[in-house]
Amino acid sequence: MIDRYLGISPKGDILLIKRLCQRLKGLSMLHINSTREGGGVAEILQRMVPLLEGLEVAVRWEVIEGDNRFFDITKKIHNALQGYPEEFTDEMWQYHYEINRRNAKRIDLNADMVFVHDPQPAPLVDFRPDGKNIWIWRCHIDLSNPYKPVCDRLMKYYEKYDAGIYHVSKFARGAKAFEFIVPPSIDPLSEKNRELSDQEIQEVLERFQIPNDRPMILQVSRFDRFKDPIGVIKAYRIVKTYNDCILVLAGSPATDDPEGEQVLQEVRDYASDDPDIKILLLPPYSDRDINALQRAATVVLQKSLKEGFGLTVSEAMWKGKPVIGGAVGGIPLQIIHRVTGFLVYSIEGAAFRIRQFLNNPEMTAKMGERGREHVRQNFLITRQIRDYLSIWYYILKGGKRVLELG
Amino acid sequence: MAIKKKIRNNNKEPEPFVFKKCATIMKSTGRYARNLYELRDIISIISEESIFHHTYQFFMKSHVMEFTNDFAQWIADYLFERTLAERLSNIDPYSFKDINELRKAILVPINEHLEEFPQQRDVFPGNEFYFNETATIVFPLGIKAKNLAEFLIAIRYVDMESIYYHFYEARTRLDNPYDDFSNWFEFSLGKRELANSVRSIDPFMHNIESIRQQIVRAVELELKRDMEESIP
Repeated sequence: MIDRYLGISPKGDILLIKRLCQRLKGLSMLHINSTREGGGVAEILQRMVPLLEGLEVAVRWEVIEGDNRFFDITKKIHNALQGYPEEFTDEMWQYHYEINRRNAKRIDLNADMVFVHDPQPAPLVDFRPDGKNIWIWRCHIDLSNPYKPVCDRLMKYYEKYDAGIYHVSKFARGAKAFEFIVPPSIDPLSEKNRELSDQEIQEVLERFQIPNDRPMILQVSRFDRFKDPIGVIKAYRIVKTYNDCILVLAGSPATDDPEGEQVLQEVRDYASDDPDIKILLLPPYSDRDINALQRAATVVLQKSLKEGFGLTVSEAMWKGKPVIGGAVGGIPLQIIHRVTGFLVYSIEGAAFRIRQFLNNPEMTAKMGERGREHVRQNFLITRQIRDYLSIWYYILKGGKRVLELG
Repeated sequence: MAIKKKIRNNNKEPEPFVFKKCATIMKSTGRYARNLYELRDIISIISEESIFHHTYQFFMKSHVMEFTNDFAQWIADYLFERTLAERLSNIDPYSFKDINELRKAILVPINEHLEEFPQQRDVFPGNEFYFNETATIVFPLGIKAKNLAEFLIAIRYVDMESIYYHFYEARTRLDNPYDDFSNWFEFSLGKRELANSVRSIDPFMHNIESIRQQIVRAVELELKRDMEESIP
């Protein structure tokens, strides 16, 4: 299965994955998160787990179960970790813990390497089985400026993990000897990123009634305030006074995000009856539609105010598209300003850069080309698998600075 | 000495060039600087691995940056102290055999700058300098070149981290100040002119793709010359 990536991913990454798998043979890996669909974590695991199985790694993926109250609490934790002050009571923390305790009874936690993703299942570490195992807290959230009372409370669980993995350096806590930086990734062969024919793209545009006679500006993301959909509409309205264009805002609901519906309504109200703004609420597994929209777009935006990583940036860059992103979270790692795209700090900045792209096709094509190569080298799933396996091997070898694989 | 013996013995096949690659695992040190004073203080005490990462491994980046190490780049981009960035960019990390000597050399212009301009400001939140370090995994790519023609095919397609390993990283592990490629050309193939042509590439002024292209051009030229010379 991994050989399907030959000719796409850097060859050395595939070779290293195979060699590490030989050395880790007989050991088991477990991933635990809070949703099977919606959001970047689920998306990566959906692709990574079968690939690891194909490499004969004994890998499992478990999802914790919770009710609405639990997910309301974890959404608040998520917001607070991204800097939004949220009121928490001891009762809420106890409920968070209690749901994890119930999940610990249901899920087999025995594995040699356990990746616990994000805060929802973080307390599971309290139910860690005895014996030789490695537990890693894998954080996908922008922790650069968290609301301290909530972050401190969560860190009590983090202390019990052997290591942490963060998307970028500024999210790391500096609380452990083993804190790794591993950006997430996209799968070039997935339905969301594979090549599409013109006919397939056209069919999607027709189904959503998106005309292709004008440039299309696109943002793909959950309907979440931190993704600033209202700011995107404001930027589009500035651009519209200079260049005729269409705006498409497309997003899928996530089962662990109860606020999504409210934000969607706000966006619909703000867009009012502008026929050139298309708001698409896509059901889960609309990957091919998203792929087609990204390929049909003239300019892709990810105007986030807070961001774990913003993988839609890499998705668009992989399709050779010019990208404009908010300078937050992992976006500056993907967009090297003026090399692979533009970083912006305001609505006006987003509008200005859209106009630059719309009016300079040569520059747009060049940045798109560099962006695709940057993604190939750094943000494909093979690199992330390579990193996870390398970290596992590195910890097993006692953290030696240089490891030689013969 | 052993290498020289090999060249004298013309009947023996030269050692093949074994392409290797290094992959890095990035680790956070948890330390960051908001201004030049903090940067100076942390550089004084941070691990050797972190100094190594922010200077030598700067060249792993696929795109050309304006300056030649992470410290200089941050000082120019976020503190706007371009004079200091220029001075730091002229420090050649490969001229030091010990990382602590390099550390001292970096601190000299920073201290001088702070004496001259003691009033320093913090960067905007989010633009701090984060000190990282790396662990490295080295492994053979399974590609060997027995002669220059095979080398030419391989160098065109190997991953950029392989070029980094042989062209940059080699300078930190070899007894001579050169790279693996030119050493193989000179000591295994006896091609001193080609070796010198690769050694004349300024390692600080190119990205890895550009280094690859220059090596390809030099080898192509050498092969062409060999072919012309072999015509009776």
